[in-house]
Amino acid sequence: MKSSATIISLSLMAAVLAGCTEEAGGDNAAAESGSCESADVRLVGQVRNESNPYEASWLAGGDAFAQSVGLKQERLTYDGDSTKQQEQISQILAGDTKCLVMNVLPNGDSDTAPIVKGADSAGAYLVTQWNKPADLKPADHKTWLSHITYNGVESGQQIGDALATAIGGSGGIIALQGVLDTAAAKDRFAGLEASLAKNTGVKLLDQQAANFSRAEALTVTKTLLTKHGDNVKGIWAANDDMALGALEALQQAGKAGKVAVVGIDAVPDAVGAVQKGDMTATVSSDGTWQGGIGLAIGYCVATGKLKAADIAADNRAFFAKQFLVTKDNAAGFATPKTNPADFECANVFNRVAGPLT
Amino acid sequence: MTLTSAVATAPRRQSRRGASFRDAGPPVALVVIFGIFAALSPQFRSVDNVQNIVDAAAVLAVVTSGITFVLMMGSIDLSAAGVMGASALTVSLLVANNRNDNDYGLLGIGAAVLLGCAFGCLSGLALVLLKVPSFMATLGVSAIGLGVATLMFAGVQPNITDTMLESWAIERFLGFSYLAWIAAACILVGWLIQRYTRLGRYAFAIGGAEEVLTLSGVRVKPYKVAVFTLAGAFYGLGGVMVTSQLGAGLVQAGDGYDFSAITAAVVGGTLLTGGRGGILHSAVGVLLVMVLTNGLVQVGVSPYWQGGVEGLIVVAAVAAAVIPQRRRNQVVK
Repeated sequence: MKSSATIISLSLMAAVLAGCTEEAGGDNAAAESGSCESADVRLVGQVRNESNPYEASWLAGGDAFAQSVGLKQERLTYDGDSTKQQEQISQILAGDTKCLVMNVLPNGDSDTAPIVKGADSAGAYLVTQWNKPADLKPADHKTWLSHITYNGVESGQQIGDALATAIGGSGGIIALQGVLDTAAAKDRFAGLEASLAKNTGVKLLDQQAANFSRAEALTVTKTLLTKHGDNVKGIWAANDDMALGALEALQQAGKAGKVAVVGIDAVPDAVGAVQKGDMTATVSSDGTWQGGIGLAIGYCVATGKLKAADIAADNRAFFAKQFLVTKDNAAGFATPKTNPADFECANVFNRVAGPLT
Repeated sequence: MTLTSAVATAPRRQSRRGASFRDAGPPVALVVIFGIFAALSPQFRSVDNVQNIVDAAAVLAVVTSGITFVLMMGSIDLSAAGVMGASALTVSLLVANNRNDNDYGLLGIGAAVLLGCAFGCLSGLALVLLKVPSFMATLGVSAIGLGVATLMFAGVQPNITDTMLESWAIERFLGFSYLAWIAAACILVGWLIQRYTRLGRYAFAIGGAEEVLTLSGVRVKPYKVAVFTLAGAFYGLGGVMVTSQLGAGLVQAGDGYDFSAITAAVVGGTLLTGGRGGILHSAVGVLLVMVLTNGLVQVGVSPYWQGGVEGLIVVAAVAAAVIPQRRRNQVVK
């Protein structure tokens, strides 16, 4: 009795397993040929959460692209929780993956490998952004089409230079760093150091970590303002949230308008502050474009308009163009919107600023 | 009734024995650390910086006041982050802001505090009715709070334009910001509740010996719910104060406050096992933590070292504070 039950369950299992492999094999074949009907493509955008303007604009950009091809984007958020992100990916990959396109923001470098592995074996088209380990390369994979990121050294330097100009080329500044063990914080600060080497009149009085947080930046800036007093002519912040916290601190210390502030990310409040002249500059990666472009690249390959094998090696992992936002051009960034031309299959790699090495 | 009150006051009387010696630890540590930083850095001992420390301590002081009652009771509360986020979004959407035409002023602030109460009440009810351990119940409530906050956030950050709420962080009275005075008032109210009301005394007694209290016929459940509700009100107000400081309602308004408040309370001498400490202890703990963070920046410790150094000093301060208790053969878990 017992043994027969075992046999039955074993054979059932074998049948199920066989079915699985067969299905997976079929998917792979479809993936390589890229012969999906436009209407069959399934678009998935995954970010950490919708509680910050940047990632909200990312999903909005994905929606805009999906709408332009008559589809709907599935919006996934994982609350900055790596385990949750992997679960969501496995769930998506367990469904129909024949014409699946995913535009994913991995939580951290180490989260990228399992996502790539899953997408590869399921034959799903994948574009990742921001985080990946250096030795993991899209060019070594069939359906991992591209990895997009931004040169933090460049943006850190851009705002450093803008700050130096704003304070007239000489004077003391303070720097607010992000979470110290992240690549973004390290790169952006390296950019500031490069800018300081160039602008010899500018002196870095102090640098403190405020962990990309508006509240921490407020406290730290107030402390630094009491420490260095009127010597502080400018504040360099590794992101806009901290820059906005610094602005509040200046206001509370009665120094609003007397100290130049720069940040990175171009969150709406910061762009507004740049427009009003409260902030000197910020840098935009164009979140709406990021949300759309990953889906667009995947869509073009899935529908056969672009062949994965034809994508230039430099376009498989690249730094995308970023924009310095100053008072002159801030109005254009105040209402971020996507440009449909950016997402046409011939133009999807137009914003490549350089290969990621 | 006589029996009840006798039992209720018993742990307090016990804890008072030798109190002067034991309670001296944290204040002495505060004075010593302040003295060291003052000797090392002339900017640190400036009037401006002392104002700055007190201003910066305001929000943490209010949150810690709330958490202290829960800790006195021997429970733990991790809901501060979520409750503060929800309250921050609520208040920023109810006072004058850039997202809608609301302009309820003080009413909006009251609503945010009440929302905090409701979240606290929820934690308390989950604890006494569903028997969910306070650790999990409050963690869950924090997640709910963050969820509610995210829904209200809806992709666009609400910036406040309410002049009264903005003035709390900017205007000063006798050298300190309004927020600092609000925090002082909260500590006073907390101390009065702890010292003179049944709620405060029972919170101590529940932490000291809940079984004894139950056996003597006290229904502790309503008091537990009330303590969590009270704590929620403090977190709600904390969320409002963060909004005033930042000029915007952030989902992340309460980020990190749950653990820094517990740290401050413990550094001040409120034990996680309950029945010990109190609001004034916690206030000292808050100042200790703030002096430490500020002082490390003022004397110029590299940011790469600060986290580690801060943790080391906190552990040393707590260790020094419990020296008098070490001889009492207590089990530490």
